[in-house]
Amino acid sequence: MTIDATMVGRSYAAAESYQVGREKIREFADAIGDGNPAYRGDDAIAPPTFAFVLGSRALEQLLNDEELGLRLDRIVHGAQKFSYTRPIKAGDDIAATATLTTVRKAGDVEVIMYETALTTVDGEPIATSTSTISHNRAEA
Amino acid sequence: MIEVGTELPPLQVTLRREDLVRYAGASGDFNPIHWNDRMAAALGLPGVIAHGMLTMASAARVVTDWIEDPADLVEYGVRFTKPVVVPDDDKGATITFSAKVDKVGDGLAEIDITALAGEEKVLGRARAVVRVR
Repeated sequence: MTIDATMVGRSYAAAESYQVGREKIREFADAIGDGNPAYRGDDAIAPPTFAFVLGSRALEQLLNDEELGLRLDRIVHGAQKFSYTRPIKAGDDIAATATLTTVRKAGDVEVIMYETALTTVDGEPIATSTSTISHNRAEA
Repeated sequence: MIEVGTELPPLQVTLRREDLVRYAGASGDFNPIHWNDRMAAALGLPGVIAHGMLTMASAARVVTDWIEDPADLVEYGVRFTKPVVVPDDDKGATITFSAKVDKVGDGLAEIDITALAGEEKVLGRARAVVRVR
């Protein structure tokens, strides 16, 4: 199957909420080489781009939609934007829902935009992530 | 006092293959183009490339190192214009980030970020909006 503009509007919720732990935040901060003390300790907040990690749980569901026929190893990330209502904190339990917003085709390449809403499981908004990816269907 | 034209302290980051592997593990993004030369070549890339999200995370540090509290970041976006090729050697790839305040008003400051790997701009329209007190 293949993706096309008629699929815009489809939504994919992460199968499970994401329980944010302070050790995971520290591991992520270490991996991006960021020693900021705000990302460590009991009251740790997460570095801004950690929001993408939570959103990727919803992206997994999008990749699992066989009608779209997308493969992770054919995807290149084109653009990314975040709007933050508040930072992600250790102890948060976060739900992610990704919605397809644009599909454009140029030959074998599909340019896809999707928006991911991050909220606590109680519905408190945390951040919105807007991603543009290109997916190349050409056989190498 | 934050004014238009204020330049933020620049930052230089070197990414080696081990940094890509560490980021893959911490982020859960195991796309093979970030660690496997064969798969990167199959997609027509010039080599293994850094995760865009790792470059984006590094660029954010220019801003979050500068503001007192990273919680004051309200918006942040980039385009990944050129891939950062990370060779399989000890030197890796070095990116230089700089940033400048472009607008101030309504309690917010808009900051433009520049990311250069060699002479090449690797991020386009990289912009952060922060709350100012």
